[in-house]
Amino acid sequence: MESANSLCPGTECKGGVLAHLERLEAQMNRSNRKSEEPTVREKESSLRTKIRELQQQRDRLRVEVKQWRARIGFLWVALAVLELFSGLKLRDLPRMPGLKVKESSAKEDSSKTTLSEQEVLEKQWRNLKAILQAYRFTGLSGKLTNRRVCVYISTAFEGNLLDSYFVDLAIEKPLRIHHHSIPAFIPLEKIATAYLQTDVQRLLFSLSEYLNAYVGRKYQADQLESDFCAFLTGPLQRSALCNLLSFTYKVEHGTQAFSFSARLLYEDLTAALPTGVTVTRPAGVEASSPHWEEHRASHEMLFRTKTLHQAFASFSKETEMLHLNLVS
Amino acid sequence: MDPETRELRALEEEVAALQRECRMLQNLEEKTSGAWKSFKKFSQSDSEEWESLKDLRSQLGHLKSELSFLSKLTGFNIRNYSKMEDIGNTEQTENDTKKVLQRHRLSGNCNMVTFQLEFEVLEIETKEKKSSIITDLSIIMEPTEYSELSEFASRAEEKRDLLMFFRSLHFFVEWYEYRENTFKHFKERYPDSVYLSEGTCSHCMEIRNARLPGFELVIVWRIQIDEEGKVFPKLDLLTKVPEQALEMDKNRVIETAPLSFRSLLGVLGIEAALDSLIRLFNTDK
Repeated sequence: MESANSLCPGTECKGGVLAHLERLEAQMNRSNRKSEEPTVREKESSLRTKIRELQQQRDRLRVEVKQWRARIGFLWVALAVLELFSGLKLRDLPRMPGLKVKESSAKEDSSKTTLSEQEVLEKQWRNLKAILQAYRFTGLSGKLTNRRVCVYISTAFEGNLLDSYFVDLAIEKPLRIHHHSIPAFIPLEKIATAYLQTDVQRLLFSLSEYLNAYVGRKYQADQLESDFCAFLTGPLQRSALCNLLSFTYKVEHGTQAFSFSARLLYEDLTAALPTGVTVTRPAGVEASSPHWEEHRASHEMLFRTKTLHQAFASFSKETEMLHLNLVS
Repeated sequence: MDPETRELRALEEEVAALQRECRMLQNLEEKTSGAWKSFKKFSQSDSEEWESLKDLRSQLGHLKSELSFLSKLTGFNIRNYSKMEDIGNTEQTENDTKKVLQRHRLSGNCNMVTFQLEFEVLEIETKEKKSSIITDLSIIMEPTEYSELSEFASRAEEKRDLLMFFRSLHFFVEWYEYRENTFKHFKERYPDSVYLSEGTCSHCMEIRNARLPGFELVIVWRIQIDEEGKVFPKLDLLTKVPEQALEMDKNRVIETAPLSFRSLLGVLGIEAALDSLIRLFNTDK
């Protein structure tokens, strides 16, 4: 950097004017010395040439220096301005002599707060996102987009989280169901006619009741088929809504096996327990025992108050107990 | 030294100095433009950061509006939620069955009822299907004065039926509000004959007649939740009648009043049944 100091502000001006004067002086001297010896003149002229060459070289270099300084000065100012706006600093940046950029500690602080603000916002974002997702545990969650709202209705039976369904509403007047995945046998149209324009919340809770009850009935029928098929003596018949189930089954009570035919009717479509239960003697099965009627009545009661798989679990428990008793 | 040689020397020095400066500046330019380039790169990523911050803010705004929309739509305000994956209980069993146990905490409110829930969800993933089961549920609710609700909460805990809990809570709160509004409505309409001695939020409404001291009809309106989580109102009529009047009641009107009220409810519905009862009690005999 010291060498830069050699170029004091006056140099350029002195160089320009003085060089011109010098050149004029040299020309005068030359014409004055025409009478001098050729060797001296030659010597002198080679000296002159060298001086001229050096002068030209100096002038070129001066222009070059000027250009470099201008370019670096521009870069430096541009950097300083950018730093100011971005709040960033490149500490290892070479410094231009005479050009001082104000070092503000405020900039650093602002960059720090920017970062922590980002962190705070990200935390908030994660938190909100989690809460939005947690809505599925309430049974109703949704996604809001431009002029649309997609509501998800989740279903469960007892502790089992089961399928979820969606209703995509177009937010316009009148409110309209754009898409949905509600099974055809759920009376969506009836519910929508009743509540869509007046009380969307009621519509959704009503749908939720229907869907949860349906899923509950279906779950029970599925459980019966998968876990208690040993009791079944024929295929389980069910309606699409699973509101009518009929099956024949055989249960051991005491040392005897009894055959039954059951018909479960769920008149309340928002319920997972049947409203009408009839247990009868299957077609073609002879009257087996005087106890049959007792068991029939108790089974009817059981099906009315317990879920299907609970009822059958109690049958199998009874059978197990029986076997245990027989062993001991 | 003659002046020309001096000039030459001076020029040579000047040129050398200028050359040095040129090299120095060139060097500096390289560094600066290097810094400039890296800065440009850096500032670009920085502006991306700014953009992402702006983006984050707008996303947050969107999420907030989504949340307020959802709480309006469902009636449930979830204020806090956290999920913890139980690493110790995550296991990979032989036949490609993956089990993950998650603990959830959730708190919020539905109108006047605040709830605090803790539950565990066991996710079982096999090749064929993925199932989620709530294996543990505990419910804390406030205020505790709604006895129907706390009974129901322990049933929901037993069944681990989280969805039923929320559904029933919603219908309970709805009925609760309806009862309150109905009581208020009758108090405003018949300020001299309707009394709410325990406030509008209670389940009792008294009907009196200034000309019949000692007589009082009490409407007991409870909100019941059954085994399946279904919520329904249960209204009963209690009569407070002086002993002598009872003796004089040859047609056993007073004795059969509760039953008559039931059938009245069935025919007219709650509001109309209450209205006709109040007017009946206040007509001059």
